[in-house]
Amino acid sequence: MSLTRLCRIEDVPKDGMQSFETESGEKVLVLSSGDEYFAYQAICPHQEVELCEGFYDGCVLTCHQHLWQWDVKTGAPMGLAETGLEFYELKIEGDEIFIGSSSALDVASLFEGVSSETRDALSKLARVESYDEGSTIYQVGDAVQDLYVLESGRVEFQLGRDDRVSPAGFILRKGEVFGWAALLSDQPMRIARATCKEASSVLALNGREVLEALSKDPSAGYRVMTSLVHLVTRYLASSGAK
Amino acid sequence: MMKVQVKARNRAFGFDTGVGESVLYSGLRTGVALPYECATGTCGTCKAKLIEGELDDQWPEAPGRKYLKSDQGEFLMCQCAAKTDLSIEIGNFVSEATPGAVIPAKFTGIVGGSRMLTPDVKAFTVELDRSTEFDAGQFVAVRFPGIGGYRGYSMVNFERRTQTLEFVVKKLPGGGVSEWLFDNEPTGVELEIFGPLGSATFYPGMGKNVLCIAGGSGIAGMMSIFSRGCQENYFADHQGYLFFGVRTANDAFYLDELAAFKAKHPENLHITVALSTEAVTDEVKAAFPGLEFDTGFVHEVAARKMKDHYDNIVAYLAGPPPAVDAAIRTLVLEARLSADSIRYDKFS
Repeated sequence: MSLTRLCRIEDVPKDGMQSFETESGEKVLVLSSGDEYFAYQAICPHQEVELCEGFYDGCVLTCHQHLWQWDVKTGAPMGLAETGLEFYELKIEGDEIFIGSSSALDVASLFEGVSSETRDALSKLARVESYDEGSTIYQVGDAVQDLYVLESGRVEFQLGRDDRVSPAGFILRKGEVFGWAALLSDQPMRIARATCKEASSVLALNGREVLEALSKDPSAGYRVMTSLVHLVTRYLASSGAK
Repeated sequence: MMKVQVKARNRAFGFDTGVGESVLYSGLRTGVALPYECATGTCGTCKAKLIEGELDDQWPEAPGRKYLKSDQGEFLMCQCAAKTDLSIEIGNFVSEATPGAVIPAKFTGIVGGSRMLTPDVKAFTVELDRSTEFDAGQFVAVRFPGIGGYRGYSMVNFERRTQTLEFVVKKLPGGGVSEWLFDNEPTGVELEIFGPLGSATFYPGMGKNVLCIAGGSGIAGMMSIFSRGCQENYFADHQGYLFFGVRTANDAFYLDELAAFKAKHPENLHITVALSTEAVTDEVKAAFPGLEFDTGFVHEVAARKMKDHYDNIVAYLAGPPPAVDAAIRTLVLEARLSADSIRYDKFS
């Protein structure tokens, strides 16, 4: 993992927060909690508000705009928040704070709460795939094999065939999961078309291999299936399918 | 009529819109639960991205535009009307209106009468062209003839189904509508109204103790909530706390109405008027024995008196944005209320 120097320890108030910009223009929020430091995306995933304008009590971060909240030790959503925060590896050397890059797999709410061993096993299964603007990741009727996690870009979905298609939404947030039929044993064919509206990068995981990895860690398997049910019902309730 | 195609994160919707009609209002009245809070150009919540078509921006100086990336085609749905068929995109999940919810609609209203409550606060009633339902805590967007766009006003009254809405307005120097209302006798004036709107609502079925913190004219929605609570005997077995912040005793209003609430449920209602710049006189205290008076900013007074009373609470906040922000900060950081038990509609 390549590390980027972000700031000095003394730049972050004790049990407080401060946002910084990396040389590449990425905004990163660093929070102090007791003796530990954590780094997350500096912009609220809801409506692009600066999180450092929000409230922080040393444990829970609250965006002041619509009160989305996160547990600072894990970045996991609490209360009204619908998604976790993008998390950066953080290292302290001397009195300086460095950050690594974050993986979409760590951000994906589907794998939230999964033990780090199982997450490592899943990381090993993940293949990075890049798609050009306009290319299709899968078509209606394609055999279902992989589950996808968005790294960057924008993917749109359509239901139906030929000229009778209807839009079924889009995803653009790092860590969003699609193609989850790969985790269901009785869903052999794609029911939507996934097209990249921008050059996009995704992590592809073979559904069968993911299930195998989870079967070795039943509590992780339980968490993933619970998250999957949440994900699926959210789309069913709104009659879209991904 | 023109067509609006909406692509949301989860699915697509289509609805018709009329000439000069706000894209937001046309979606809401057809039962598409588009995102919004103030519905009047200040909060930025209803932003969307124009993919195809032409817009007529009816308030290019709207304060809510500061939340937009205009170079990426973002616009405020509440302020823009369609000039052609539109294709737009919303970066949120959008659903159909929940079954049973009151779908907002356009009304014509006639100002029935007005009265001064203090030298700079005026109450007025509006008779709608037909009856409507609304929830306690909701507001409507009101357009006065010849004075620009819609403004949001919360209903003061509560009746399950009614044709009469009651509002309260504070005089704002330089505020087009409020200055006009204070300089003129509005009775008989015809208004355009869209609503009901807003999600900071109270239902007796929720079974929680109620905390209301209001600054100035923000008391409007709280009056509606307490009216409903009293009408349906809610406070017979739930606590109700109300904190009403004004500068001085002379700026306070609705004290008779608040005292009447208190008289109905003297055990369970706790109503405090917070004066920010003076201590209360014995005379005022004697005139309203049921009400408590305190000195300080309303969120500070509430924080002091609510200690140890946050059990099973849902909190409603309204008033000037700095007062609401301060109250939110207190409730989140000091009272440690969960975010979903704090209700307010953002107006900034």
